[in-house]
Amino acid sequence: MENKRQNMFEIFRGFIAIAIAILVAFILIVICADDPGKALECLLIRPIISNGALNVKSIFTILARMTPIIFTGLAVCVMFSANQFNLGGEGAVMLGGFIAALIAIYLPMATGVHALVAILAGTIVGGLVMIVPAVIKVKLKASEMVCSLMMNYVIMFTILHFLNNVFPDRSKGATQTYPFLETALIPKMVPNTELAWGFVAAIIATILVAFFMYRTRWGYSIRMIGINESFSKYSGMKVGGIIILSQVIGGMLAGMGGAIEMLGRYNTFLWKDLPGYGWTGITVAILAKNNPVMIPLAALFISYLNRGCELMSIYAGVPAEMIDIIQAVIFLFFAAEHFLSGTRQKIVVKDAKEEMQKKELATAGEGGNA
Amino acid sequence: MSDNDLVVQMKGITKVYPNGIAANQGVDFNVKRGEIHALMGENGAGKSTLMKMLFGLEQPTEGEIIINGEKVSLSSPTIAISKGIGMVHQHFMLVPSLTVAENMVLGMEPKQGNKLFINYKKAVEITEEYSKKYNLYVDPHAKVRDIPVGMKQKVEILKALVRGARILILDEPTAVLTTQETEELFKELIHLKEQGYTLIFISHKLNEIKQITDRLTILRGGKFMGVHETAEISKEEISHLMVGRDVVLSVEKEQAQPTDVVLRVRDLEYTNEWNKKMLDKISFDVRKGEILGIAGVEGNGQRELVEMLFNLNVPDNGSAKVNGKNVLGRPQREIRDMGVSLIPEDRMTFGIAGAGTIEENLMSDRAANKKYNNGPLFNLKAMHEDSDQLIKDYNVLCKSRKQQVGMLSGGNIQKVVVAREFSSDPILIIADQPTRGIDVSAIEFIHKKLVQLSREGAAVLLVSADLNEVMELSDSLIIMNNGRIAAYFEDTSVLNDTIMGEYMLGLKQQSDEEIRGVLHGE
Repeated sequence: MENKRQNMFEIFRGFIAIAIAILVAFILIVICADDPGKALECLLIRPIISNGALNVKSIFTILARMTPIIFTGLAVCVMFSANQFNLGGEGAVMLGGFIAALIAIYLPMATGVHALVAILAGTIVGGLVMIVPAVIKVKLKASEMVCSLMMNYVIMFTILHFLNNVFPDRSKGATQTYPFLETALIPKMVPNTELAWGFVAAIIATILVAFFMYRTRWGYSIRMIGINESFSKYSGMKVGGIIILSQVIGGMLAGMGGAIEMLGRYNTFLWKDLPGYGWTGITVAILAKNNPVMIPLAALFISYLNRGCELMSIYAGVPAEMIDIIQAVIFLFFAAEHFLSGTRQKIVVKDAKEEMQKKELATAGEGGNA
Repeated sequence: MSDNDLVVQMKGITKVYPNGIAANQGVDFNVKRGEIHALMGENGAGKSTLMKMLFGLEQPTEGEIIINGEKVSLSSPTIAISKGIGMVHQHFMLVPSLTVAENMVLGMEPKQGNKLFINYKKAVEITEEYSKKYNLYVDPHAKVRDIPVGMKQKVEILKALVRGARILILDEPTAVLTTQETEELFKELIHLKEQGYTLIFISHKLNEIKQITDRLTILRGGKFMGVHETAEISKEEISHLMVGRDVVLSVEKEQAQPTDVVLRVRDLEYTNEWNKKMLDKISFDVRKGEILGIAGVEGNGQRELVEMLFNLNVPDNGSAKVNGKNVLGRPQREIRDMGVSLIPEDRMTFGIAGAGTIEENLMSDRAANKKYNNGPLFNLKAMHEDSDQLIKDYNVLCKSRKQQVGMLSGGNIQKVVVAREFSSDPILIIADQPTRGIDVSAIEFIHKKLVQLSREGAAVLLVSADLNEVMELSDSLIIMNNGRIAAYFEDTSVLNDTIMGEYMLGLKQQSDEEIRGVLHGE
């Protein structure tokens, strides 16, 4: 590959960002934990190894929690690749989950088929709502960011209205729907853990999205529009249509993630707030640099940190909010284009100088003939 | 000459941009106190980059800047201004909704006694005082959006002076001005010079340079090509140093055998958002097998004309048809499917997706073709084969098709654009400034290809501000001036610079009858 030095540097930069984030976290842990050593052990080691043995159950939990954020990460990845800063993943997840839940409760079907239909419905509805910000963007040039952000709350409160007034199970103390029919539940991959077959679906989705983005004309158009919209228009691509497509696909992925999470982890709908997977998906996509193949790795990293923080709050009394702080710091350093830009510039200069020297040698050689 | 006379010394300046492009390579630039010093070079020669560093907008990678004998680090325009440097940008940096006086004091507003509100009266006084002192008439109360371009420029100059500038950088100040406005500006500049100001004048218009500058520095391809007393160097020498070729590149071509009309343009009219008539009843035909050139000083409607033909803009009136089918307002896909190709003037905006690979850029107009798709998936093998073939045929210097296009040199980027546009079997090629700012070997290559394609039966519309280029390549030629066709020449062999210049600058205008020669049939 070309410019190896610069590529290596990008990877190095990522690790430095993560290292600094963990360092900041460490400082905070030292300040607020009674036993910083134990807290750190909880954060870094206990998610996989506890008491000298492999913590199998915890590992499955980490994998299970990757599922929804792989989906939202992919969703963000597709939309951001087209330069569409659509933040509606959050709403699409909740809506996808809700629609899947309704089908799981009220439409009896055969085992297997039931779950598939529910997931499909969640996926479609997730895609449909994204048409709203996408079309408003293309036709009226209104910011998809503002529009999708507001839409999240419209979706959330609409769902809450239905949850409270139309579909509640009054026999329960908490606000929730009736339980899902057994036929609609996504079976566990490993009994007695959180890990359901939804994880496999997430990995398959990753492969499909990677193919879509790099091996199809639509994915190609999405990426080219993301790089240079004027160029894409001039080349004859249907820019408006592709911009809408990218957001609809994003919505479908998010909706599917919501449906799979709902049927794989719960047996009744009880989300009373936006679930947060949409936001995490943005972090995941940024960590993965919008490369679909890297999404599961980024999701693993976030999920691992999540689990570590959870263990810290259980065993070492460190507040669970720590994860948000760590996420924020990583986000900052990754998104900050100028972080270590001085070093990057030095590498670029070095490369450019070598090029210039090569050129001069070449022209000197030609000059000899002239 | 002692160093004390020098107000600006830039020594061994090298600038490498984050995208790896070395815009300046070891440039020396010295300006004497109280002179008008021209900085010359073609587009992309590194003039703007050098001046951005002097004004603190960019920092040099290597080299030092010495102002009034003191070594300085200009890390921001604020610091540059404090050292007495002012810049008048080509694109004005004014707030259109504020008045002239408000713009003048922006960021250094005189306050009322209570320190809360702006003392507008004082702002007007300041404006009037400077306006008078420097003979630059402006209306302090007018909103900037309502005043003409020439006055906006004066506001910019005054703005710099109010901030204490003793050294003024003027970035192509005449590009937006009419002839009278230019004359006026020159008088004002000489007036400033007489008062002891130092002026740096960026331009590539030879006549202007000869008219008002004392010395000139020439850049070519980011490198320093020497500094000269303006009076002691001829225009030919300047142009030779700027362009680096004195031989007119001649292209061998057979006599054109034009046949049917491919592109038929009738009565195109367009008035731009500043109410300037850019296209005034433009009509012409381009026939199969011929190269029709459009010459003219930039900004006389050529850009707008090309934009209309590729639906990057919509005219107020008129028609344009390719083989009888309307192209105005049609989607680019449809225009391309009619067999129209465009080498865009602005290659970085329209020609390429810089962060994409060479292959991705070569395939942009044809990625949806059956040939490159197996059902929903790309046929990567076909893509790779054709990309490699194009890279080879068009002599694109690169490591592989996977290299980022934005990392290539200007000439090679243009070859990628040309490879794509020429390889789609076009029946009409619109080439807008096809060789601007690229190296000689790439220019020769592109010229040969254009001629070859036209002789093989394509219709070519060549728009170029490079006189050598249009005269050498075109079979027949239109000259545009002020949105109109000033002249049509059926045979370009009778032309020379002088004749062209007279029409380009509006000194002469052919009769409607003569111009009608460009209409073939109907």
